[in-house]
Amino acid sequence: MSSPRNDTPCLAQGLTVSFGGQRVLDGLEWSLPAGRVVGLLGRNGAGKTTLIETLLGLREPTAGRASLFGQPSMTLDDDARARIGYVPQRSDLFEWLTADQLLAYFRSFYPRWNTAKVEGLMSRWDIARDKPIRKLSGGQQQRLSIIRALAHDPELLVLDEPVASLDPAARRDFLGELVDQVMDRSTTIVFSTHILTDLERVAVDVAFLSGGKIALHAPLDELLESSVRLGGVPADIRRFIDQYELQPISHDAGVPLIARGRGAAAMPAPTPTVSVDRATLEDLFLALTA
Amino acid sequence: MRSVVTDLSHFSVVAGSPEPIYRQLVAQVRRCVAGGQLKAGDELPSVRELAQSLAVNPMTVSKAFGLLEAEGLVTRRRGLAMVIAEQHRRAQPTAERIDLLRPTLERAAQEARQLQLPAAQALSLFKTILNEQEGQ
Repeated sequence: MSSPRNDTPCLAQGLTVSFGGQRVLDGLEWSLPAGRVVGLLGRNGAGKTTLIETLLGLREPTAGRASLFGQPSMTLDDDARARIGYVPQRSDLFEWLTADQLLAYFRSFYPRWNTAKVEGLMSRWDIARDKPIRKLSGGQQQRLSIIRALAHDPELLVLDEPVASLDPAARRDFLGELVDQVMDRSTTIVFSTHILTDLERVAVDVAFLSGGKIALHAPLDELLESSVRLGGVPADIRRFIDQYELQPISHDAGVPLIARGRGAAAMPAPTPTVSVDRATLEDLFLALTA
Repeated sequence: MRSVVTDLSHFSVVAGSPEPIYRQLVAQVRRCVAGGQLKAGDELPSVRELAQSLAVNPMTVSKAFGLLEAEGLVTRRRGLAMVIAEQHRRAQPTAERIDLLRPTLERAAQEARQLQLPAAQALSLFKTILNEQEGQ
């Protein structure tokens, strides 16, 4: 096996995780390009959190391996650890500490700490500094978790459903923060969410997790421009797909519904018996994670 | 020539659309130039300003700007600001502007036929909507 290049922020090779005989991840292969924002999509229970935890070395794989910046995830040294920021799905903050105490505690672990950013976000997001964390609202805890993950200016930022308990205004503000992060530091970002509209704004790539594997990882723009939704007479739809050399990616009772391929880039004209529409990210999500 | 930094309100983004965001941005500039709302020398917002105000990835904004440059709609000025290109001094002739609207109306017409709406009613709806926007 060739050794991974050191600058690959995140790499999974043959990654398998089983729970009680059931394979949640099944020989998964994935490589994250440096400096890109990647949206990780999958249905509930597809294993997004398991994948993220295994990539980060928080969970031991049954087989295969995960590495971050060229180091095995399970045995990262302090340098590599300092390059990573993580916002877990369920906030794992020490609930008896105040926000200020928590940040002071984490600060002691990192060689770098962006005080200006932390202070700015604490006041902008209006987080009480002197209350025990357990008394903060779900949204405030999530925002504090985001501040903690950004504080040491990570090169790789991993976010597991980071906006689940944020209202639309707070989500927008958080997306703005990610945009800053990309502008200022070219941070590599992995972002799992089921809110597709947020993802569309910030993700350059999308990856679909299904059947324990990454079913597809592609630039979002390219995917939208090469995918169509078809309808009409089944036999004619099949002929249409052959004619434009498309690849069916979902079926409805055996009839192709969504298809993609270079032949779709110029948007083929509909026929009297076949309707053609551009597919949306939601169409693709439903098709690729079925 | 006085250069005007283009109002950010010229730009908006619809998520959940089959049209990629960079194409939406390109089409908006194309329409504003065709309509004469943006003219030669007007300065576009920076990638950062636009990415920040729309909460979209800066790479997406750069891609849109690159395409606008390739189309000759904008040129890159020293200091990296993008300005509307010299040749776009006034609005395009009506015929060309109508061509730009055509695809959208073709889609609307197709939907009206699918809904079995009589032409007169579809047209009167369009008229009402045009007037509503005017009043805003």
